[in-house]
Amino acid sequence: MDLVCEVKNLRLKYPGEESLLFKDVSSSFCKGEKVLLLGPSGCGKSTFLQVLSGLIPKSIEVPMKAEKILTPSSWGYVFQDPDTQFCMPYVDEEMAFVLENLQVKREQMHEKMRVYLKMVGLHFDDLHISIQSLSGGMKQRLAIATVLALHPDVLFLDEPTAMLDPEGTKAVWDTMKQAAQDKTVIIVEHKIDHVLDFVDRILLFNQKGQIVADGPKEQIFSRYRKEIREDGIWYPGVWEDYLRDKQGYYKKTPLKEQVVIELEQFKGYRKKEVKIDVPYGKVHAGEWIAIVGKNGAGKSTLLHSLMQFIQTTGTYLLLEKEAKKIKKLSNMLSFVFQNPEFQFVTNSVYDEIAYSLRIERMKEEEIRTKVEEMLELFHLQKHRHQHPYQLSMGQKRRLSVAASIVKKQPIMLLDEPTFGQDSSNTFQLLELLEHYRKQGSTILMVTHDEQIAKHMATRIWRIEGGKLVEDEIHSCEDEQMYVQI
Amino acid sequence: MKGLKLTDILVTIVISIVFGIVYKLWGPLYYAVKPIGLHVDQLIYGMWFIAATVAFLIIRKPGVALIAETAAASAEFITGSEFGIEVLLYGIVQGLFAEIIFAIFRYKKFNIGVVMLAAAASAAGSLIMDLYKGYIDDLVFWNLLLFIGARLIGSIIIAGAFAYYLVKSLEATGVTNLVRPASHEDYDALN
Amino acid sequence: MDFDIKETWLHKINPSLKLLFLIVLFISVLFIHNINFLINYTVAAFLLFAFFTGHPMKRILLLLIPFVLIFVSTATSMIFFGKGETTWWKWGLIHITEESFYRGLHLGFRALIFALLGLMFSLTTRPVFLFYSLMQQLKLKPKYAYSFMAGIRLIPIMIEEFQTIRQAMIVRGVEQRKGLANFFHKLKAYSIPLLSQSIRRAHRIAVAMEAKRFSNDTKRTFYYEIGFSKYDLCFVLYFIIAILLSYYAAKMLPFFPVTDVRYIE
Repeated sequence: MDLVCEVKNLRLKYPGEESLLFKDVSSSFCKGEKVLLLGPSGCGKSTFLQVLSGLIPKSIEVPMKAEKILTPSSWGYVFQDPDTQFCMPYVDEEMAFVLENLQVKREQMHEKMRVYLKMVGLHFDDLHISIQSLSGGMKQRLAIATVLALHPDVLFLDEPTAMLDPEGTKAVWDTMKQAAQDKTVIIVEHKIDHVLDFVDRILLFNQKGQIVADGPKEQIFSRYRKEIREDGIWYPGVWEDYLRDKQGYYKKTPLKEQVVIELEQFKGYRKKEVKIDVPYGKVHAGEWIAIVGKNGAGKSTLLHSLMQFIQTTGTYLLLEKEAKKIKKLSNMLSFVFQNPEFQFVTNSVYDEIAYSLRIERMKEEEIRTKVEEMLELFHLQKHRHQHPYQLSMGQKRRLSVAASIVKKQPIMLLDEPTFGQDSSNTFQLLELLEHYRKQGSTILMVTHDEQIAKHMATRIWRIEGGKLVEDEIHSCEDEQMYVQI
Repeated sequence: MKGLKLTDILVTIVISIVFGIVYKLWGPLYYAVKPIGLHVDQLIYGMWFIAATVAFLIIRKPGVALIAETAAASAEFITGSEFGIEVLLYGIVQGLFAEIIFAIFRYKKFNIGVVMLAAAASAAGSLIMDLYKGYIDDLVFWNLLLFIGARLIGSIIIAGAFAYYLVKSLEATGVTNLVRPASHEDYDALN
Repeated sequence: MDFDIKETWLHKINPSLKLLFLIVLFISVLFIHNINFLINYTVAAFLLFAFFTGHPMKRILLLLIPFVLIFVSTATSMIFFGKGETTWWKWGLIHITEESFYRGLHLGFRALIFALLGLMFSLTTRPVFLFYSLMQQLKLKPKYAYSFMAGIRLIPIMIEEFQTIRQAMIVRGVEQRKGLANFFHKLKAYSIPLLSQSIRRAHRIAVAMEAKRFSNDTKRTFYYEIGFSKYDLCFVLYFIIAILLSYYAAKMLPFFPVTDVRYIE
């Protein structure tokens, strides 16, 4: 078979890191193969992909050497973050950027744009449309279209759906199956539901950056199920496996008497327009509410309204007090942002958790006991001196939650806390949240994950077009109750 | 300008655009402070030099200070600065003066002293421009001295010391490793 | 920045020419010392800004508000503290003389005309066209031009991010701390996430651009070809005529009896 891509005895080390990321790693890829690279976060899969394409060391300087390296002559690369693959503001201009690079004549550009956009199923009447107005899934398909313009033999996909909702994820893989049938495709991905029927071979990495298995997907899956599960990969059936192990941990309990939030004709405004409307809602202590709905439906806006980031009208009682009259809402509500980095304000994990306690002028000894307790519960003891930015994705997320709730506020608001996380980190976080819920905390959480809504939440609020349209309580055992709105 | 890769330029320009927006917001603040008199406004003037020093400290390559200050001024101009076209010319001169200081130290010194010196040089550059533009020599002597002193001190504090500590905290996050070249030790470790 | 803008002839001027010509105008204004001439000239620039940028009147008026501040603030510091012999008024450190008054006023108009011309440019020039034109007419290297365009694309994303950081700071309690040390703490708390996110983004975009075969060395075609037109001539002629008329009117119908603010009799 024709070899399109090969590395032999690759060694690579990131500057400032103590040890090599790869030590004598070898692999090769044949024409037309569809290969999935699997492994735990931080094992170097993405780096490996960048080496195979030649981006390392050509565009990214990372110390590396290999006995032999063969990069494909024509290739395309789709990256993870939909917002950082484009340099131009409009769809036509971004497509033009690639065509200009290939020195396509100006007169032919429009026709070619249409061709490539059609391949990924994007149809616009006017191509001069702002990229920022597209959904994440559409942006990624646009990225694929620009890459197809390069006529690549080999496609490198670096977690192209990590930052997409389920709908966008499906659309991207459907597109890929259509457009890349005849190409060699090498994929790094954590969420592999839609990927599995597309690939035929799997390469499994371990924590140390070694390739532990390489073979047909069926074989890898049956032999390495345990490893794949421990690596935090979202394989089909991961939820069933997890819930079987944790039977009884997420136990639905009867509604408690105490009402913590009461809403009536509650509306939140952005630029004087109603963006979220809750006709009626009563939240009891110890509830876990999953706020679900499509992108842009107003889920985050609901949290922002509760947090009083934006203007609101109507009744909003917090523990029977009018929320507008409460001076420091952050004493009752904690808020966890989607991007953990935005809420970090200090230079170490320890200081980060201690921060809000220090503002309250608590005694240092008292602070120490509290922080130590949090460090242990959130598995961050070993990282206490590290800079928050230097943590892994999962650790950053846990730290952001720990630092937000250290004051033991009775109500937690979380904006897609499991977004982009691997399965082990997701489960770890969910267990922590359930731990707090059992102690009486109330949780309101925006999520796209139907499994979380189904198995963890005690109640689901569905938002559609800026309005709370469905309120579904699952209290004790499988009994479901719908509240009329 | 040998050695500036696309990454270096893009990072420089994006940082500069962040500061360009700060520059733009600084305009109304400056004009609001100005009528207080006694050149209190000059104490905050130094913010307009910060792009050059911060960008240089992050990327540490020749040409970065000049490009950064020019780019920040361009961003300020494009977003509709109150100062109009003059910000572009000022930007180039201020960037050039900071660049000269870094060049004198052969782009090998990144300590706080050099950064303060570069900030002061930018201030000097802006004063030369003012000489042509604003009749500043028509101010009475004590006032002129106060004017120059306030601008220099403000620059050294904001574009010098503050810029230096800002980049220090940025380094702690590890993000600057993305743009700094790898060392020989890193390469040697491969063997 | 998407606004409801009507495209006017000012939008159709070649952006490089517009920019260079504005620089020439900027420098020429520095040589005007007759306040009457400058006032007339300012009026000519104001007409373009007010009626030909294609923006709705409401926005134009809104943009005018800071101009008043610029004018007053620039003028007063020279009027109050400038050198001069013919005293009009004195109170403590404030010393208003005939000379400082006219010079201050002159400086005020100067600041005003720079602001008007500059804003006229940014209201009528799309950055993408400006950078395409700079590449085509002034041979700006593509790596600079595209870096700029990529950076400008990020502005709305950064603004959104800034708002999120602000909310996060309120929740964390950073906002409630006061004092000068905390001012710098606050400044740092905002800049670190913004800058680190920007550096990462810029780095990723640069890699993505190279992955899309962007190269500074090879020749490239252009999606937009920016050329010259009759509007360019109109623009240049407008200012030449405006300058001549302003000068003539200043001679014939002066507002103030001063011809050179540097030397006042």
